[in-house]
Amino acid sequence: MVKSIPLLAKIGAVLLVIAVAVYMLMPLVVVAGASIGSNRFLTFPPQGFSLEWYTEALTTDTYLAPFRLSLMVGVITAVCSAVLGTAAALALTRFNIPGSGAIQAFLMSPLTLPTIILAIGALSVASMTIGAPNVWVLIVIHTVITIPYVMRTVTGVMARRDPFIEEAARTLGASAWNRYRLVVLPVARPGIAAGAFFAFNISFDDAVIALFLRTPQLETLPIAIYGQLEYSTSPTVAAVSTMMVLLTVVLILILEKLIGLGRMFVS
Amino acid sequence: MNERTRKEPLLLLLPAALLLLLGFVTPVSAMLLMSVQSPAGGFTLDNFQRLFDSGYNLQAAWRSLRLGIVQTVVTILIALPLSYLMSRASSKLRSFLLIVVILPLMTSVVVRTFGWVVLMGPNGLMMKVPGAELLVKGTQGFLGTEAGVSIAMIQVLLPFAVLSILGVVSGIKPQLEEAARTLGAGYWRSLWHVVLPLTLPGIVAGASLVFVLSVSSFITPRFIGGAQIPVFAQTIYVDATTNLDWPFAAAQAVMLFAGVMLVLIATARLGRTKG
Repeated sequence: MVKSIPLLAKIGAVLLVIAVAVYMLMPLVVVAGASIGSNRFLTFPPQGFSLEWYTEALTTDTYLAPFRLSLMVGVITAVCSAVLGTAAALALTRFNIPGSGAIQAFLMSPLTLPTIILAIGALSVASMTIGAPNVWVLIVIHTVITIPYVMRTVTGVMARRDPFIEEAARTLGASAWNRYRLVVLPVARPGIAAGAFFAFNISFDDAVIALFLRTPQLETLPIAIYGQLEYSTSPTVAAVSTMMVLLTVVLILILEKLIGLGRMFVS
Repeated sequence: MNERTRKEPLLLLLPAALLLLLGFVTPVSAMLLMSVQSPAGGFTLDNFQRLFDSGYNLQAAWRSLRLGIVQTVVTILIALPLSYLMSRASSKLRSFLLIVVILPLMTSVVVRTFGWVVLMGPNGLMMKVPGAELLVKGTQGFLGTEAGVSIAMIQVLLPFAVLSILGVVSGIKPQLEEAARTLGAGYWRSLWHVVLPLTLPGIVAGASLVFVLSVSSFITPRFIGGAQIPVFAQTIYVDATTNLDWPFAAAQAVMLFAGVMLVLIATARLGRTKG
């Protein structure tokens, strides 16, 4: 016999859902709303309707050059992180390695260290060795902080595999190359792809590390927005920000398709 | 195991380990070293002495600690009922809430902060909420107030707490609650005595993650709070990039690092005694 849930709890649940949805989405809705108003001064609720800020955002170099840089850094980071993170996850899930717990903890540790600490260290090492930070410093640090995510998604997928398929391939004489190409990697693929997209998202959105490492030649899209926020909040920044949110929506849909949001985020 | 299979895991692990050595171990150790290095190259604790003597930076550190505790408590208090609701909701509502939580999580912090700046100005939408003037003690808006910083920060932190707690609370079998209720416990009593104790590991993990993120964040506090109410991470940023006083910035970062490690170790201990 299951007793019913009290009315108070039901009302509370409804109120909680509404309040949380408004609270979490409001800042994003406001940015999107402000980007389509016709007023040059940023207002919400928007007055009038105009897409001229999108035209402006897409034609001025203020955002185009940073966008190209962010895209490049994000893609290279995603690829490096996917390769290195997948390799590490495949080693840790398929072999009995002495001290594997410690190795895993080491590779996952960038996840718990505040990025500001890593950022200031990276800036000082860069200035001591190569002078002004360049794009490769940014890519290395982004790869370091995204490897844990790839390891997590790949480990998650590998944990549900059938280990005997690879054993069978080995016993039947498959070469290492064929074993990876035909057995291991196809199984891991959804995890690798999800991890890579997530790594891209983190790199593309990062403002902390990019802020410490920024130079006039090294300005990513979030830093361009950051710079604009310091002086003015024009509808053009809102248009750029809205496009970033839309890109995030696309990435979320891809992740949902690949391995499901629940499995991706809830351990 | 033959020779080849022993080499295989090593080859797979090596690239990631080497990159971490270059891009993680080196910068973090450089920062630790820098904080105790005198201009002549010897060992010194002057930078730490300066931190304890400086009213401004120390005040920022205390503010971060205070805000970190407040934000962690409020975040967990919202995340707890929310994650419980998500774990017991229909799959449609659950997916909706998951997106509500994950979309802001995956959006750049500068974009979210931008939204709050628009909402929190003197003429912003938030001043039209009843009671807003009491919260900020005036009509100047939420910008430049600790209340404003916390409201914007908790939106950033909530997803981390929800995801930590949701993982644990989803694993609690509804049959346990049914058993408690069949045995005569009321709805609230079964939550308090059955669900809450079992959720504790998730709460501890979520709280420590949220606290660490809160005390080390500076982009949201910088735009919402501004220069009048600097937080610790903000003074580190200014000392490192504007004042170019790296040893001092490093000493502050080491203090932050030490505080964070303390929280993480305490959490790990707590988790072990529970497990």
